[in-house]
Amino acid sequence: MDYALIVALQIASGIATLVIISLGLAVVFGMMRVINLAHGEFLMLGGYSAILSYQAGINLWIAILLIAPAAVGAIGLIVERLLIRRLYGRMIDTMLATWGLSLALIGGVNMAVGNTVSGFPAPLGSFAIGAFRVASYDLFLIAAAAVLALLIWLVLRFTTAGLIARGTMQNSEMAAALGVSPDRVYAVTFAIGAALSGLAGGLLAPISGVVPTMGTAYIAKAFITVITGGAAMLTGTLAASGLLGAVLTIGTFLTTPVLGEVALLAVAVILLRLLPRGITGRFFRRAL
Amino acid sequence: MSDTAKTLVQIVLALAVAVAAAIGLPQVLELFALINATVFVSMALLALSLALVWGFGGILCFGQTAFFGLGGYAYAIAAINFGDTTGAVPLALAVPTAFAAALGYLMFYGRISDVYMGVITLTMTLILFKFANSTAGDQWIIGTAPLGGFNGIPSTPPFNMPFAPDQPLDPGQVFVVAIAALVSCYVIAKLLLRTRFGRVAVAIRENELRAELLGYDVRLHKLLLFSVGGLFAGLAGVLFANCVFVSPTMFSLFYAGQVIIWVLVGGLGTLVGPVIGCILVQWLTTIAGSLPHVDANLFLGLVLMVAVVLIPRGLLPTARSMLARLTGRAP
Amino acid sequence: MALLATERLTMRFGGVVAVDDVSLAIAPGELRCLIGPNGAGKSTFFKCLTGQLTPTSGRIFWRGRDITGFDAFAVARLGIGIKTQVPSLFDGLTVAESVALGVRRLRGERESRRLADQAMERLSIAPLARIRVGLLAHGQRQLVELAMVVAPEPDLIILDEPTAGMSGEETTRTAGLIRELNERHAIVVVEHDMQFIRSIATRVTVFHQGRVLLDDSADRVFADPRVRDVYLGRAAA
Repeated sequence: MDYALIVALQIASGIATLVIISLGLAVVFGMMRVINLAHGEFLMLGGYSAILSYQAGINLWIAILLIAPAAVGAIGLIVERLLIRRLYGRMIDTMLATWGLSLALIGGVNMAVGNTVSGFPAPLGSFAIGAFRVASYDLFLIAAAAVLALLIWLVLRFTTAGLIARGTMQNSEMAAALGVSPDRVYAVTFAIGAALSGLAGGLLAPISGVVPTMGTAYIAKAFITVITGGAAMLTGTLAASGLLGAVLTIGTFLTTPVLGEVALLAVAVILLRLLPRGITGRFFRRAL
Repeated sequence: MSDTAKTLVQIVLALAVAVAAAIGLPQVLELFALINATVFVSMALLALSLALVWGFGGILCFGQTAFFGLGGYAYAIAAINFGDTTGAVPLALAVPTAFAAALGYLMFYGRISDVYMGVITLTMTLILFKFANSTAGDQWIIGTAPLGGFNGIPSTPPFNMPFAPDQPLDPGQVFVVAIAALVSCYVIAKLLLRTRFGRVAVAIRENELRAELLGYDVRLHKLLLFSVGGLFAGLAGVLFANCVFVSPTMFSLFYAGQVIIWVLVGGLGTLVGPVIGCILVQWLTTIAGSLPHVDANLFLGLVLMVAVVLIPRGLLPTARSMLARLTGRAP
Repeated sequence: MALLATERLTMRFGGVVAVDDVSLAIAPGELRCLIGPNGAGKSTFFKCLTGQLTPTSGRIFWRGRDITGFDAFAVARLGIGIKTQVPSLFDGLTVAESVALGVRRLRGERESRRLADQAMERLSIAPLARIRVGLLAHGQRQLVELAMVVAPEPDLIILDEPTAGMSGEETTRTAGLIRELNERHAIVVVEHDMQFIRSIATRVTVFHQGRVLLDDSADRVFADPRVRDVYLGRAAA
């Protein structure tokens, strides 16, 4: 019984991690059809923002929950203005340019702070379930994922900003005709996506270790999750994370972490073969 | 000049350059530089493989390094086990080709498109990277060859004369083999593109629907072209294994990105462009690497961003257009 | 025996029935027009015929053989030439190369070029042979596509809105072209331009809301008041 609970928690944790690392990407891909290959590096910058501010004496939670997203959001604004905006509509060129950005960021950070692994100990300690100990931070991450998803849903559904975002997503020309500046919407959207990625980096820093190449461990999984999810930004990511997160965790449990990732990829490929437009290309098509 | 004549001239030129390099360079370069040159050649072949698959076939493969690494590892493992590289080479070519065929089947017959294909192939090479990295323990041995995890397989036997394992080739001879491999693949690619198969592959890149509506099996064409690309990349891996050691880095994101950069910088849609782009970028990277404060990743990232934004079509096509405008002829 | 026939063909997308229980037969050498206002299901029907979509239910027969669910390339191989609404062309290739590819699957290099030259002559685009397709005007692109389709001498040619985007003069010329092509090939034209249809039609099938409203000779169809209502929107939903 205890064991079942532990397994369930592990699975929820795996799903939550996927949700956290994918939301930023989903926002940018879902809203703008931009494939940002520097997403992993935004995550890394978030991790570094959190660690560096913590080491400078700032409270851990503020560093993770405020500084990380704010810093990377600002960086996102700059990147959008200087790079992404020149390449709108050119999906493959955007992929390539953001890949270049990714390499440059890895190199730049490496030059700036070196590549030793920094970290901070996972806060909140642990608690016991039967004979097993569970890190409370894992529970915090599960809660964080849920809260994030809820917040995004609320914003999209009930705020004017959310409405504008949805409108621009559906039909940018129409939105422009109604007085909304697509440029402004895209800039803010990209910044928000970047902020979410930065937040993810901050959240994962205590359990992952911050190093210039930390983004590369997550980028592939984040992409697969978003693409398998399909066009509906929130529902798609949640559905895909649920399915793939479970597969990854169970696969890792039964075999090894590497085979767990292979299983995730295999399931995603099969899913895409059956539903070429992703999960929400077929089900829940009108969802957010 | 007719198409056939143009192709013939290009092939003759390539052969001439190859012969000159094969004879001349070993005389002029000292050992270390010669081995470096061999590495450049193997990378150039890797670039050629992607130039074929992406530039002519329109297949967006971000994981060409998967076949590169598989070729290298297969060669090292086979050569160590057999004690003779004669049998190792065909095996080392078969493995990445088969893998490309299998992956290609899953992707093309699954009608997975462009963008998604890029992500899946990239993930493939990253998974192989992770896997190779995790093989450090004693249990990871194939026959007599330990996989070595992050450190790779330390001493890869160089080529030996066919069926004569006690006569290994010296670096000068390995260089000649590499040049021969590169130019052979170039000629094969050029001739392949002139066959019906090649023309259809290019047409598929132009408009897949129309090619299908003319009765061509698009999936099969892509699969075959992709497998040929895997073969070339695997051969590049075998060459690489001969002058450097085999390690998970062959599968890494860094190398995967470099191949893309070479093709883009050199010119997507040409065969020679990416080869030149590769050598140029490699050379620039070596210079940048010797500068004390510049990070190679940063340098390459900047090159890629600049290339995409400023010269989206690549060096060779841009150079051709500029030349055409200067002389008033059609590009 | 009918050349191409459908039996109760139905295509459903979620809750929408785009093609509803359509049965028709094309005889060898026939010229058939499928007409109907926008949204009547003609283009969806076209995609089912050409293998681009697999019908939800019903069957398609070619010379009596069941070809339901065939891939698009398999359908083309049966000897069916397909011309899409928006011209599907190889922009980076020259006109001659494109047309040659149309027949290259069946013939050798030299023979293909000869047949390509013939096709280009038939469609009066021989002067454009060495020009890159991407540089041509819309009307010329339509002709190039027709040449590609005609070169392998298909038994049946299916055209989806061949006059879309054409000027009046080009439309008249296309009408003449289609009548000429009909001398050697069976033709199915999907169109909603009534004037164009009148100038070429012998037999007409009218689509309305996914179903076949009327399938008869051109004269009788154009005289039928229901057809007018359907086009002017007066028909009951």
